[in-house]
Amino acid sequence: MTLGADAGRADIAHASPEVRAIHRRMLRRKKINRGLTYLLALLIALWVLVPIWFIASMALTTPEVVRSYPKSVLPFIPFSFESMRFFLESDGIVPGFRNSVIVAFITLTLSTIIAAPAGYAVSRYIFAGRDAFRLSILAVRSFPIVILAVPIAVMFISLGIFDNVGSLALMHTALTLPTTVLVIGSVFASVPYEMEEAAMVFGCSRVKAFRYVVLPLVAPGIAAAAVFTFVMSWNEVFAASILTVRNRTLPAQVLFALDGSPQHYQFAAAFFMLLPAILFIFYIRRYLFNMWGQVSK
Amino acid sequence: MNTVVEIKSEEDTRPARPRPKKRNWAPYVLIFPTVLFLALFFAWPMVRGLSLAVWDSEAFLTLHEEPVAKGSETGKLRQNTPLEILDQESQIVVTDEADERRANMITEVWYLVSGEDPDGQTITGWAPEARIRVRGLDASGNPSDGTVRPRLGANADPLTALFEEASGNSDVVGHLEQQVAVKIAEQTTREIWYLVRGTDEAGDVVEGWSQSRFVQVFEDETKGRVDRGDTGELTTRFIQKMVDDRFFEPAVRTTLLLMILIIPVQFVLAVVMALVIQARLKGNTYLLYIFAIPLGVSDLAVGIVFFSIFTQNGFLNSILQGLGLIDGPITYLSAETRGWIIFAIWLAEVWRATAIVMIIIVSGLQAISDEVLEAAELFGANLWRRVRYVILPLLRPSIQIALILRTILALQMFAVVIALSGGDVVTVLTNETFRQYRDLRNPNVAAAYAVFILLLSMVSTTLYLYSLRTQKEKAE
Repeated sequence: MTLGADAGRADIAHASPEVRAIHRRMLRRKKINRGLTYLLALLIALWVLVPIWFIASMALTTPEVVRSYPKSVLPFIPFSFESMRFFLESDGIVPGFRNSVIVAFITLTLSTIIAAPAGYAVSRYIFAGRDAFRLSILAVRSFPIVILAVPIAVMFISLGIFDNVGSLALMHTALTLPTTVLVIGSVFASVPYEMEEAAMVFGCSRVKAFRYVVLPLVAPGIAAAAVFTFVMSWNEVFAASILTVRNRTLPAQVLFALDGSPQHYQFAAAFFMLLPAILFIFYIRRYLFNMWGQVSK
Repeated sequence: MNTVVEIKSEEDTRPARPRPKKRNWAPYVLIFPTVLFLALFFAWPMVRGLSLAVWDSEAFLTLHEEPVAKGSETGKLRQNTPLEILDQESQIVVTDEADERRANMITEVWYLVSGEDPDGQTITGWAPEARIRVRGLDASGNPSDGTVRPRLGANADPLTALFEEASGNSDVVGHLEQQVAVKIAEQTTREIWYLVRGTDEAGDVVEGWSQSRFVQVFEDETKGRVDRGDTGELTTRFIQKMVDDRFFEPAVRTTLLLMILIIPVQFVLAVVMALVIQARLKGNTYLLYIFAIPLGVSDLAVGIVFFSIFTQNGFLNSILQGLGLIDGPITYLSAETRGWIIFAIWLAEVWRATAIVMIIIVSGLQAISDEVLEAAELFGANLWRRVRYVILPLLRPSIQIALILRTILALQMFAVVIALSGGDVVTVLTNETFRQYRDLRNPNVAAAYAVFILLLSMVSTTLYLYSLRTQKEKAE
């Protein structure tokens, strides 16, 4: 690992032969280390990518190939959308997809609207109870909130809003809110307060300074947080399966149909659920550390 | 260059001088929605879950002396007590009670009608819905006109009685002949009350009135049972039921086993990944992206992906056979091969949830200044020593957070297990919560499981916070 720096390189030429030999050896060792690091990186990348490769190759081929044994590791032979079409035309998939998207959008909107002001407050104001608030957000996050689906379901039944896309979105918002507050807080914190102050010195009101200076700078970060919220809601299975009966989301529907469905249905489903993750993580990759890094401070 | 590294210490950007004296309400207004939402959807469900687990809200049924809700009590009967049904009467529905309890009550509708009796006199009185055929509705959709239904059968009474009140026990005002046209002035919905007799906890026979919503009446209408009570009691019944469940022990054991198997491997892998990222190779951002992909993949999808590898005609067998290592496909995911299933779940979880640990550790690493590491290198510390004595101690806070998050994720593991084992052969606590709630329709026991999982997470969080204290904290 080349965690060191190349300090003192200029002096090497004038050094004695022994020192130069040591230096050469060091360089060689560094090169080998670097080579090993590349190898390691490649191996880990393969470890992540190969399973995705497998499922993609199974989802984009014919059901006959899916059933066959032994399988070829070379994928997509023959390439076909047959399995995918079978999956998409199965019972409950299209409405499930629609429900999933609606739930994820409501969750995204709600949790961004609720969390953004709190994130701003935490990063910009010092107020009595600030630490308590931050701590309780962290505490909430260190609970398996998903498990609260059971009492929430009982509550929703007695309120008459059970099995409803909107109420599931409320549950998902509870799930994502702590993370969103922390992430948006750290996004705001990454914009120096001095910039806002400067704008106010030049005659902006606090609101104007926020609108014209801070907002453009934090917008991409908040968008990334929103995308991550979307992904969390899109992926959530447990609460969705508990809180819906007729209006299942896509994962809940797939889970429900899992037992006794043919393999090509399952593989196509997995690939279909995996796709947005791959795209969204690509979109937000720059902000990943903003999201999780600040938490540990 | 690394474009990802953009972490600034929060301390730097906070306003330097808080404006003193004047109390600023803005931050409180700003955090209010979050606090409110979490109170409603986190704190309240938590309390509710706890009460579901230990409070049997339907333990006892209160019997009344009179068929009215406010009447004096004659005794309490436990749920499921067999009952003798002595009498019944209908009463005005009490509307201000919780709606869910009204679902299976028995009601009857009475009409206040007026029509000509056999003597030509116009009489007004109450008749049950069964005796009146509604012929017309008024503007707001309520019945306004009707006729008296004929009674069928050779020796049936041809006359229909009208009552002074909407109850068969009140005085009779008069009688109407069949098919007489009537005006309907009013209607009322009445709930049936039963006069029941049963044996209470102390062994005494008690008698009293109860609403139909609490009583299940058997076919001959003389016997029944207390369907559910209206008075709660503190109980360990649900917890007992959870502990006695034949899946409870295996679920606890598997959950803990998976946690123990997954977390250390994940940490090693995550630290390796983080060091690779920190080495700033070419294409670092793409590498980081690839490493982070599993972060966004649902556990259900991951379960299915690893199912495609471990299933009998899956990739593992295909590859092994291709290499000539096996002669025919091996069955990995069956009731006889629990070990393989756990191995598959372990692999799937390591694949899926290492990314988040890596992210947290990388951002912790970035906070360690290069000078410290350089100094260590200059003093001849090799990689292992640098990791062991410099990097890991400085990463303590990150590791703490990662451990806590990771443990919660392990406790929440659900769809992976179902996808790989069908949820029977290998089971975990969330799966049992789901089974109790969904398949066995037992929300109380499900809530007991939920509380149990929450307790486990609290215990582990406290444990991590305690055991990973810094030296300074230990001294205090």
